[in-house]
Amino acid sequence: MILHTVNKSPFEKNTLISCLKHCKPGSSVLLIEDGIFAALENLSDWTEEIAAEIAQTEEIKMSENHWEVVTFLRDYYDEFQIAPAVRVLTKAIGKKFGKEKGNSKYLYELFPYGPAKQACKIAGLPKPTGCI
Amino acid sequence: MKFAILVNEGPYTHQAADTAYHFVKAAIDKGHEIYRIFFYHSGVNNGTRFTSPPQDDRDLVQNWSRLAEEHNVDLDICVAAAQRRGIIDKDEAERHGKDCHNLAPGFRISGLGQLIEGGIQSDRMMVFGD
Amino acid sequence: MSEEMYEDDEYDGIVKKFMYVNRKAPYGTIYALESLEVVLIGAAFDQDISLAFMDDGVYQLKKDQDTKATEIKNFSPTYRALEMYDVEKLYVSKDSMDERGLTEDDLIVPVELVSAEKMSDILEEQDVIFSF
Repeated sequence: MILHTVNKSPFEKNTLISCLKHCKPGSSVLLIEDGIFAALENLSDWTEEIAAEIAQTEEIKMSENHWEVVTFLRDYYDEFQIAPAVRVLTKAIGKKFGKEKGNSKYLYELFPYGPAKQACKIAGLPKPTGCI
Repeated sequence: MKFAILVNEGPYTHQAADTAYHFVKAAIDKGHEIYRIFFYHSGVNNGTRFTSPPQDDRDLVQNWSRLAEEHNVDLDICVAAAQRRGIIDKDEAERHGKDCHNLAPGFRISGLGQLIEGGIQSDRMMVFGD
Repeated sequence: MSEEMYEDDEYDGIVKKFMYVNRKAPYGTIYALESLEVVLIGAAFDQDISLAFMDDGVYQLKKDQDTKATEIKNFSPTYRALEMYDVEKLYVSKDSMDERGLTEDDLIVPVELVSAEKMSDILEEQDVIFSF
Protein backbone atom coordinates (compact mmCIF):
# COMPACT_ATOMS: atom_id res chain seq x y z
CA MET A 1 0.00 0.00 0.00
CA ILE A 2 1.25 3.41 -0.92
CA LEU A 3 1.63 6.28 1.49
CA HIS A 4 0.56 9.41 -0.36
CA THR A 5 1.85 12.70 1.04
CA VAL A 6 0.27 16.06 0.19
CA ASN A 7 2.18 19.19 1.14
CA LYS A 8 0.23 21.88 -0.70
CA SER A 9 -2.84 23.75 0.44
CA PRO A 10 -5.94 22.79 -1.57
CA PHE A 11 -6.56 26.51 -1.97
CA GLU A 12 -3.19 26.98 -3.66
CA LYS A 13 -2.77 23.99 -5.99
CA ASN A 14 -4.71 20.99 -7.23
CA THR A 15 -2.29 18.59 -5.56
CA LEU A 16 -4.82 17.14 -3.11
CA ILE A 17 -7.46 16.63 -5.80
CA SER A 18 -4.92 14.96 -8.07
CA CYS A 19 -3.80 12.75 -5.20
CA LEU A 20 -7.32 11.69 -4.24
CA LYS A 21 -8.05 10.79 -7.88
CA HIS A 22 -5.25 8.25 -7.70
CA CYS A 23 -6.01 6.74 -4.30
CA LYS A 24 -7.45 3.33 -3.67
CA PRO A 25 -9.72 2.38 -0.76
CA GLY A 26 -7.44 1.70 2.17
CA SER A 27 -4.70 4.03 0.88
CA SER A 28 -3.15 6.38 3.38
CA VAL A 29 -2.92 10.09 2.68
CA LEU A 30 -0.66 12.08 4.98
CA LEU A 31 -1.21 15.84 5.04
CA ILE A 32 2.07 17.60 5.79
CA GLU A 33 3.38 21.17 5.63
CA ASP A 34 0.81 23.32 3.80
CA GLY A 35 -1.31 20.25 3.12
CA ILE A 36 -2.77 20.55 6.62
CA PHE A 37 -5.17 23.22 5.41
CA ALA A 38 -7.08 20.49 3.63
CA ALA A 39 -8.08 19.26 7.08
CA LEU A 40 -10.66 22.02 7.10
CA GLU A 41 -13.34 19.66 5.83
CA ASN A 42 -15.36 22.32 4.15
CA LEU A 43 -15.42 26.07 4.12
CA SER A 44 -18.37 26.21 6.49
CA ASP A 45 -16.21 24.61 9.22
CA TRP A 46 -14.40 27.90 9.63
CA THR A 47 -14.42 29.46 13.07
CA GLU A 48 -12.62 32.46 14.49
CA GLU A 49 -10.43 30.08 16.49
CA ILE A 50 -9.33 28.34 13.30
CA ALA A 51 -8.73 31.72 11.67
CA ALA A 52 -6.57 32.78 14.60
CA GLU A 53 -4.54 29.58 14.27
CA ILE A 54 -4.06 30.03 10.55
CA ALA A 55 -3.05 33.65 11.24
CA GLN A 56 -0.45 32.39 13.69
CA THR A 57 1.14 30.13 11.10
CA GLU A 58 1.19 33.17 8.79
CA GLU A 59 2.87 35.12 11.62
CA ILE A 60 0.06 37.66 11.73
CA LYS A 61 -1.25 39.05 15.00
CA MET A 62 -4.97 39.54 14.46
CA SER A 63 -6.15 43.03 15.37
CA GLU A 64 -9.58 44.61 15.07
CA ASN A 65 -8.52 45.90 11.64
CA HIS A 66 -7.55 42.38 10.54
CA TRP A 67 -10.90 40.95 11.67
CA GLU A 68 -12.69 43.78 9.88
CA VAL A 69 -11.17 42.65 6.58
CA VAL A 70 -11.68 38.93 7.26
CA THR A 71 -15.33 39.43 8.20
CA PHE A 72 -15.80 41.59 5.14
CA LEU A 73 -14.31 38.88 2.90
CA ARG A 74 -16.57 36.19 4.33
CA ASP A 75 -19.67 38.36 3.93
CA TYR A 76 -18.65 39.12 0.36
CA TYR A 77 -18.16 35.42 -0.38
CA ASP A 78 -21.52 34.58 1.17
CA GLU A 79 -23.21 37.03 -1.13
CA PHE A 80 -21.29 36.53 -4.39
CA GLN A 81 -19.71 33.06 -4.00
CA ILE A 82 -16.31 34.42 -4.98
CA ALA A 83 -13.54 36.14 -3.08
CA PRO A 84 -13.02 39.67 -4.43
CA ALA A 85 -9.97 40.61 -6.48
CA VAL A 86 -7.69 43.20 -4.82
CA ARG A 87 -9.02 46.15 -6.80
CA VAL A 88 -12.61 45.30 -6.01
CA LEU A 89 -11.69 44.66 -2.38
CA THR A 90 -9.90 47.97 -1.85
CA LYS A 91 -12.78 49.92 -3.40
CA ALA A 92 -15.36 48.12 -1.31
CA ILE A 93 -13.36 48.45 1.92
CA GLY A 94 -12.86 52.15 1.25
CA LYS A 95 -16.59 52.56 0.70
CA LYS A 96 -17.51 50.74 3.89
CA PHE A 97 -14.78 51.71 6.35
CA GLY A 98 -13.47 55.01 5.02
CA LYS A 99 -11.03 56.22 2.36
CA GLU A 100 -7.96 55.85 4.60
CA LYS A 101 -8.53 52.06 4.54
CA GLY A 102 -9.52 51.83 0.91
CA ASN A 103 -6.07 51.34 -0.59
CA SER A 104 -3.78 48.39 -1.21
CA LYS A 105 -1.01 49.88 0.93
CA TYR A 106 -3.25 49.55 4.00
CA LEU A 107 -4.25 46.00 3.09
CA TYR A 108 -0.65 44.96 2.48
CA GLU A 109 0.33 46.45 5.84
CA LEU A 110 -2.22 44.17 7.47
CA PHE A 111 -1.49 41.17 5.23
CA PRO A 112 2.10 41.37 3.89
CA TYR A 113 1.64 38.45 1.51
CA GLY A 114 -1.39 40.06 0.00
CA PRO A 115 -5.06 40.25 0.82
CA ALA A 116 -5.77 37.61 -1.85
CA LYS A 117 -3.24 35.05 -0.75
CA GLN A 118 -3.14 35.67 3.00
CA ALA A 119 -6.41 37.27 4.13
CA CYS A 120 -8.45 34.76 2.13
CA LYS A 121 -6.44 31.93 3.65
CA ILE A 122 -7.20 33.18 7.15
CA ALA A 123 -10.83 33.76 6.21
CA GLY A 124 -11.07 30.15 5.05
CA LEU A 125 -11.92 31.16 1.49
CA PRO A 126 -10.55 30.06 -1.86
CA LYS A 127 -8.21 32.54 -3.53
CA PRO A 128 -9.80 34.80 -6.10
CA THR A 129 -9.19 33.44 -9.61
CA GLY A 130 -6.74 35.12 -11.92
CA CYS A 131 -3.42 36.86 -11.38
CA ILE A 132 -3.09 39.25 -8.49
CA MET B 1 12.51 -1.02 8.44
CA LYS B 2 15.23 0.32 6.19
CA PHE B 3 14.49 3.77 4.76
CA ALA B 4 16.08 5.61 1.87
CA ILE B 5 15.36 9.34 1.87
CA LEU B 6 15.28 11.75 -1.08
CA VAL B 7 15.41 15.49 -0.29
CA ASN B 8 14.54 17.60 -3.32
CA GLU B 9 14.53 21.11 -1.86
CA GLY B 10 17.05 23.40 -0.24
CA PRO B 11 16.98 24.72 3.31
CA TYR B 12 14.45 27.37 4.41
CA THR B 13 12.68 28.14 1.14
CA HIS B 14 10.65 24.95 1.40
CA GLN B 15 9.67 23.12 4.54
CA ALA B 16 10.67 19.87 2.82
CA ALA B 17 14.19 19.80 4.27
CA ASP B 18 12.79 20.27 7.79
CA THR B 19 10.15 17.57 7.30
CA ALA B 20 12.80 15.17 6.01
CA TYR B 21 15.08 15.92 8.96
CA HIS B 22 12.31 15.39 11.53
CA PHE B 23 11.19 12.22 9.79
CA VAL B 24 14.72 10.82 9.88
CA LYS B 25 15.08 11.65 13.58
CA ALA B 26 11.71 10.08 14.40
CA ALA B 27 12.58 6.97 12.39
CA ILE B 28 15.91 6.59 14.18
CA ASP B 29 14.23 7.07 17.56
CA LYS B 30 11.82 4.26 16.69
CA GLY B 31 14.69 1.93 15.90
CA HIS B 32 14.50 2.06 12.10
CA GLU B 33 17.52 2.20 9.87
CA ILE B 34 18.28 5.08 7.54
CA TYR B 35 20.08 3.48 4.62
CA ARG B 36 20.95 6.74 2.90
CA ILE B 37 19.83 10.34 2.53
CA PHE B 38 20.18 11.61 -1.03
CA PHE B 39 19.97 15.28 -1.96
CA TYR B 40 18.79 16.23 -5.46
CA HIS B 41 17.51 19.32 -7.31
CA SER B 42 17.88 22.29 -4.98
CA GLY B 43 18.19 19.83 -2.10
CA VAL B 44 21.94 19.96 -2.75
CA ASN B 45 21.89 23.40 -1.13
CA ASN B 46 21.48 21.67 2.22
CA GLY B 47 25.17 20.84 1.87
CA THR B 48 26.79 24.26 1.85
CA ARG B 49 28.69 25.29 4.95
CA PHE B 50 28.39 29.01 4.10
CA THR B 51 24.96 29.59 5.64
CA SER B 52 24.51 31.93 8.62
CA PRO B 53 20.87 31.69 9.61
CA PRO B 54 19.48 34.00 12.31
CA GLN B 55 20.41 32.78 15.76
CA ASP B 56 16.85 32.50 17.00
CA ASP B 57 15.97 29.99 14.31
CA ARG B 58 17.09 26.46 13.54
CA ASP B 59 20.38 25.85 11.71
CA LEU B 60 19.40 23.28 9.10
CA VAL B 61 22.85 22.61 7.68
CA GLN B 62 24.24 22.05 11.15
CA ASN B 63 21.33 19.73 11.91
CA TRP B 64 22.27 17.55 8.94
CA SER B 65 25.97 17.53 9.84
CA ARG B 66 25.15 16.58 13.42
CA LEU B 67 22.86 13.81 12.20
CA ALA B 68 25.68 12.40 10.08
CA GLU B 69 28.09 12.55 12.99
CA GLU B 70 25.83 11.16 15.72
CA HIS B 71 24.07 8.45 13.73
CA ASN B 72 26.54 7.69 10.96
CA VAL B 73 23.98 8.54 8.27
CA ASP B 74 25.11 8.89 4.63
CA LEU B 75 24.41 12.35 3.26
CA ASP B 76 24.89 12.04 -0.50
CA ILE B 77 24.73 15.00 -2.85
CA CYS B 78 24.16 14.49 -6.57
CA VAL B 79 27.23 15.72 -8.43
CA ALA B 80 25.32 16.95 -11.49
CA ALA B 81 22.76 18.92 -9.48
CA ALA B 82 25.57 20.26 -7.27
CA GLN B 83 27.62 21.45 -10.24
CA ARG B 84 24.61 23.38 -11.53
CA ARG B 85 24.09 25.08 -8.19
CA GLY B 86 27.64 25.62 -6.95
CA ILE B 87 28.02 23.06 -4.19
CA ILE B 88 31.52 21.67 -4.44
CA ASP B 89 34.08 19.74 -2.44
CA LYS B 90 37.82 20.16 -2.65
CA ASP B 91 38.26 17.73 -5.55
CA GLU B 92 35.48 19.26 -7.59
CA ALA B 93 36.88 22.75 -6.93
CA GLU B 94 40.29 21.71 -8.26
CA ARG B 95 38.77 19.86 -11.21
CA HIS B 96 36.72 22.85 -12.30
CA GLY B 97 39.22 25.58 -11.41
CA LYS B 98 37.12 27.16 -8.67
CA ASP B 99 38.84 29.26 -6.05
CA CYS B 100 37.21 27.59 -3.05
CA HIS B 101 34.95 24.77 -1.95
CA ASN B 102 31.93 24.82 0.34
CA LEU B 103 30.79 21.33 1.25
CA ALA B 104 29.49 21.09 4.82
CA PRO B 105 30.78 18.40 7.20
CA GLY B 106 29.11 15.03 6.88
CA PHE B 107 28.11 15.48 3.25
CA ARG B 108 29.79 13.89 0.26
CA ILE B 109 29.49 14.50 -3.46
CA SER B 110 28.08 11.40 -5.06
CA GLY B 111 26.15 10.18 -8.09
CA LEU B 112 22.56 9.36 -8.98
CA GLY B 113 23.53 5.71 -8.89
CA GLN B 114 23.54 5.99 -5.11
CA LEU B 115 19.92 7.15 -5.21
CA ILE B 116 18.87 4.19 -7.36
CA GLU B 117 20.86 1.81 -5.19
CA GLY B 118 19.09 3.29 -2.17
CA GLY B 119 15.78 2.42 -3.78
CA ILE B 120 16.91 -1.12 -4.50
CA GLN B 121 18.40 -1.88 -1.10
CA SER B 122 15.91 -0.14 1.20
CA ASP B 123 12.42 -1.23 2.19
CA ARG B 124 10.88 2.18 1.56
CA MET B 125 11.92 5.31 -0.35
CA MET B 126 10.55 8.53 1.15
CA VAL B 127 10.54 11.66 -1.03
CA PHE B 128 10.43 15.18 0.42
CA GLY B 129 10.06 18.01 -2.10
CA ASP B 130 8.08 20.82 -3.61
CA MET C 1 26.36 13.21 -16.91
CA SER C 2 28.26 10.29 -15.41
CA GLU C 3 27.16 6.69 -15.50
CA GLU C 4 28.14 4.04 -13.04
CA MET C 5 28.26 0.48 -14.35
CA TYR C 6 27.83 -2.44 -12.00
CA GLU C 7 28.42 -6.16 -12.36
CA ASP C 8 25.38 -8.16 -13.41
CA ASP C 9 25.14 -10.00 -10.10
CA GLU C 10 25.81 -6.94 -7.92
CA TYR C 11 22.28 -6.84 -6.55
CA ASP C 12 21.69 -10.60 -6.29
CA GLY C 13 19.18 -10.15 -9.09
CA ILE C 14 16.93 -7.84 -7.09
CA VAL C 15 14.55 -6.29 -9.58
CA LYS C 16 12.13 -3.71 -8.24
CA LYS C 17 9.39 -1.74 -9.90
CA PHE C 18 10.55 1.88 -10.12
CA MET C 19 8.05 4.59 -11.00
CA TYR C 20 8.94 8.16 -11.91
CA VAL C 21 5.96 10.49 -11.45
CA ASN C 22 6.00 13.75 -13.41
CA ARG C 23 3.43 16.42 -12.58
CA LYS C 24 5.10 19.64 -13.64
CA ALA C 25 5.48 21.41 -16.96
CA PRO C 26 8.99 21.64 -18.45
CA TYR C 27 11.14 24.82 -18.41
CA GLY C 28 9.22 26.81 -15.78
CA THR C 29 11.07 24.68 -13.26
CA ILE C 30 13.95 22.24 -13.55
CA TYR C 31 12.11 19.20 -12.24
CA ALA C 32 11.23 17.77 -15.66
CA LEU C 33 14.82 17.88 -16.92
CA GLU C 34 16.45 16.59 -13.76
CA SER C 35 13.83 13.86 -13.40
CA LEU C 36 14.68 12.65 -16.90
CA GLU C 37 18.35 12.59 -15.92
CA VAL C 38 17.56 10.22 -13.05
CA VAL C 39 15.64 7.96 -15.43
CA LEU C 40 18.60 7.76 -17.80
CA ILE C 41 21.07 6.91 -15.03
CA GLY C 42 18.58 4.54 -13.41
CA ALA C 43 18.15 2.66 -16.68
CA ALA C 44 21.61 1.14 -16.19
CA PHE C 45 20.46 -0.75 -13.11
CA ASP C 46 18.17 -3.20 -14.93
CA GLN C 47 15.12 -2.46 -12.81
CA ASP C 48 11.50 -2.53 -13.98
CA ILE C 49 10.98 1.12 -14.88
CA SER C 50 7.81 3.09 -15.63
CA LEU C 51 7.15 6.77 -16.10
CA ALA C 52 3.88 8.46 -15.21
CA PHE C 53 2.83 11.83 -16.58
CA MET C 54 -0.09 13.65 -15.00
CA ASP C 55 -1.37 17.19 -14.48
CA ASP C 56 1.05 19.61 -16.16
CA GLY C 57 3.60 16.81 -16.54
CA VAL C 58 1.90 15.83 -19.80
CA TYR C 59 3.37 18.98 -21.35
CA GLN C 60 6.85 17.46 -21.02
CA LEU C 61 5.99 15.16 -23.92
CA LYS C 62 4.47 17.77 -26.19
CA LYS C 63 5.73 17.93 -29.78
CA ASP C 64 7.20 21.04 -31.40
CA GLN C 65 8.87 22.59 -28.41
CA ASP C 66 10.88 25.65 -29.46
CA THR C 67 12.91 27.12 -26.63
CA LYS C 68 15.27 29.33 -28.62
CA ALA C 69 13.95 32.58 -27.25
CA THR C 70 14.42 31.43 -23.67
CA GLU C 71 17.95 30.15 -24.27
CA ILE C 72 17.01 27.07 -22.23
CA LYS C 73 18.03 23.77 -23.79
CA ASN C 74 15.14 21.98 -25.48
CA PHE C 75 15.50 18.53 -23.99
CA SER C 76 12.27 17.02 -25.36
CA PRO C 77 14.13 14.96 -28.02
CA THR C 78 15.70 13.01 -25.17
CA TYR C 79 12.34 11.34 -24.45
CA ARG C 80 12.72 9.63 -27.82
CA ALA C 81 15.96 8.03 -26.62
CA LEU C 82 14.26 6.29 -23.70
CA GLU C 83 13.33 3.35 -25.88
CA MET C 84 17.05 2.65 -26.47
CA TYR C 85 17.50 2.53 -22.70
CA ASP C 86 14.72 -0.08 -22.46
CA VAL C 87 12.45 2.43 -20.78
CA GLU C 88 9.24 1.80 -22.65
CA LYS C 89 6.42 2.08 -20.13
CA LEU C 90 5.17 5.63 -20.35
CA TYR C 91 1.76 6.11 -18.75
CA VAL C 92 -0.07 9.36 -19.39
CA SER C 93 -3.19 10.51 -17.54
CA LYS C 94 -6.07 10.72 -20.00
CA ASP C 95 -7.87 13.19 -17.72
CA SER C 96 -4.88 15.52 -17.69
CA MET C 97 -4.63 15.35 -21.47
CA ASP C 98 -8.36 16.07 -21.90
CA GLU C 99 -8.20 18.98 -19.45
CA ARG C 100 -5.48 20.51 -21.61
CA GLY C 101 -7.04 19.73 -24.98
CA LEU C 102 -4.27 17.30 -25.94
CA THR C 103 -4.35 13.99 -27.80
CA GLU C 104 -1.76 11.25 -28.33
CA ASP C 105 -0.92 12.85 -31.68
CA ASP C 106 0.37 15.90 -29.83
CA LEU C 107 3.00 13.84 -28.05
CA ILE C 108 6.56 13.23 -29.09
CA VAL C 109 6.68 9.50 -28.17
CA PRO C 110 4.23 6.59 -28.11
CA VAL C 111 2.56 6.38 -24.72
CA GLU C 112 -0.25 4.51 -23.00
CA LEU C 113 -3.14 6.77 -22.04
CA VAL C 114 -4.67 5.59 -18.78
CA SER C 115 -7.68 6.47 -16.68
CA ALA C 116 -7.20 7.71 -13.13
CA GLU C 117 -8.27 4.31 -11.88
CA LYS C 118 -5.78 2.44 -14.06
CA MET C 119 -3.08 4.91 -13.02
CA SER C 120 -3.78 4.24 -9.36
CA ASP C 121 -3.61 0.47 -10.02
CA ILE C 122 -0.22 0.95 -11.64
CA LEU C 123 0.99 3.11 -8.76
CA GLU C 124 -0.05 0.48 -6.21
CA GLU C 125 2.14 -2.11 -7.96
CA GLN C 126 5.31 -0.07 -7.56
CA ASP C 127 8.11 -0.72 -5.08
CA VAL C 128 9.83 2.64 -5.39
CA ILE C 129 8.05 5.84 -6.40
CA PHE C 130 9.95 9.00 -7.22
CA SER C 131 7.96 12.20 -7.38
CA PHE C 132 9.83 15.23 -8.65
